[in-house]
Amino acid sequence: MLSRLVFLAGSLKSSGPIGAGLVQASRSLQTSSQSLAPVPPLPEYGGKVRHGLIPEEFFQLLYPKTGVTGPYMLGTGLLVYLLSKEIYIINHETIAAITIGTIIVYGVKKFGPSVAAFADKLNEDKMAKAQEAKDVAMSSLTQAIENEKKEQWRVEGRAMLFDAKRNNVAMLLETNYRERLHMVTNEVKRRLDYQIALQHLNRRMQQEHMINWVEKNVIGSITPQQEKESIAKCIADLKVLAKTTQAKAAA
Amino acid sequence: MTLSLFNQFLSPSLMWIPLAAIALALPWALFPHQTTRWVNNRLLSLQSWFLGQFTQQIFLPINSPGHKWALLLASLMLFLITLNTAGLLPYTFTPTTQLSMNMGFAIPLWLATVVLGLCTQPTQALGHLLPEGTPTPLIPVLIIIETISLFIRPIALGVRLTANLTAGHLLIQLISSATSVLLSVLPAVATFTITLLFLLTLLEVAVAMIQAYVFVLLLSLYLQENV
Repeated sequence: MLSRLVFLAGSLKSSGPIGAGLVQASRSLQTSSQSLAPVPPLPEYGGKVRHGLIPEEFFQLLYPKTGVTGPYMLGTGLLVYLLSKEIYIINHETIAAITIGTIIVYGVKKFGPSVAAFADKLNEDKMAKAQEAKDVAMSSLTQAIENEKKEQWRVEGRAMLFDAKRNNVAMLLETNYRERLHMVTNEVKRRLDYQIALQHLNRRMQQEHMINWVEKNVIGSITPQQEKESIAKCIADLKVLAKTTQAKAAA
Repeated sequence: MTLSLFNQFLSPSLMWIPLAAIALALPWALFPHQTTRWVNNRLLSLQSWFLGQFTQQIFLPINSPGHKWALLLASLMLFLITLNTAGLLPYTFTPTTQLSMNMGFAIPLWLATVVLGLCTQPTQALGHLLPEGTPTPLIPVLIIIETISLFIRPIALGVRLTANLTAGHLLIQLISSATSVLLSVLPAVATFTITLLFLLTLLEVAVAMIQAYVFVLLLSLYLQENV
């Protein structure tokens, strides 16, 4: 991109490479509006490679002309050419290269997937933490919404609550009134009963007094003469009675 | 034969252009920069994870004024480990086999830790010269010994790295030469030698990583004493 700027500057100042250099020197980095533009996103995974070293694009490049085996033929031919012309000499370094190459390939094959999984796990954990924070926030907000709805429903039932309370209070008042009425009735009845008992007592006392007075007078009026006559009469009656009973028993 | 054995350690130049500069710039080119993205590709995720783990590991015992060294030590570690492991490939030049470069790392960094210690906490820095609990008659001798050990540190640091890598590379070259000669004469012995070479290369891979780690670890220890 900077090279494009160089060409542009070169065409603006048509004094060759020195002019471009002047423009470049006077321009400072990251200040033009071009650096504010959104950068295209970086690829998530690297490009595909074959045999760990050669990009897949190379094989695709040679495929139209030489087919599938083309790159391999190229590689083998190149290697054989280098060896036969002794451009690459086999010496002790080759053996050291074979050794370290084997170790590296073995290491990558064996530990590569686990290391990649570990790196992926690091990123996953980071994202999971953020996701969890978001989920917790969402769930707490949903919960808050439900609570609010419940409170609103409760508010609707407030009138029923007031009615019930009102009824309750009215019943209490009614009960209280009835109790007091009952108490008053009892008290009044007690007083009236007392008056009745008093009247009865009066009547009875009067009766007894009168009876005693009459008896006293009657007993006083019986003279001794009358007492003798009555006793003699009684004896005569008893004799007559005894005779009649004897007669009845004999018959 | 003796000359050609050490040819691999000559600083490479192409028509008097020193190529060691390209060799030293290789680690910079191999590791991607931090992006502004939240989720990166695998290489960058692994790299960030590794650097985070490593820095935490190294700087856990160091108290907070020393944490300013985090960038330096982490990048040094990455640099050394890349140079060392890349040097195991054939026909490569390993800059860490040069004593000049390793001393160029060791002496300034070691000196920085010592000067830091002497400037910020001179009593404690000098106090490191006498371990606790030494019997009184031994004190003068011990101070001399500790001073010598203090001044040997940068030399040890540099020479350790150089010697390990140079020895490893030499051995690999020797044994692979032996194998290539024996291959035409006694193939059976050559198979034994190549097995030896396999094991040696495995060892060299381990040594390459461990030596880089040890270099940085020792520097962090010197820092821990002095900060």
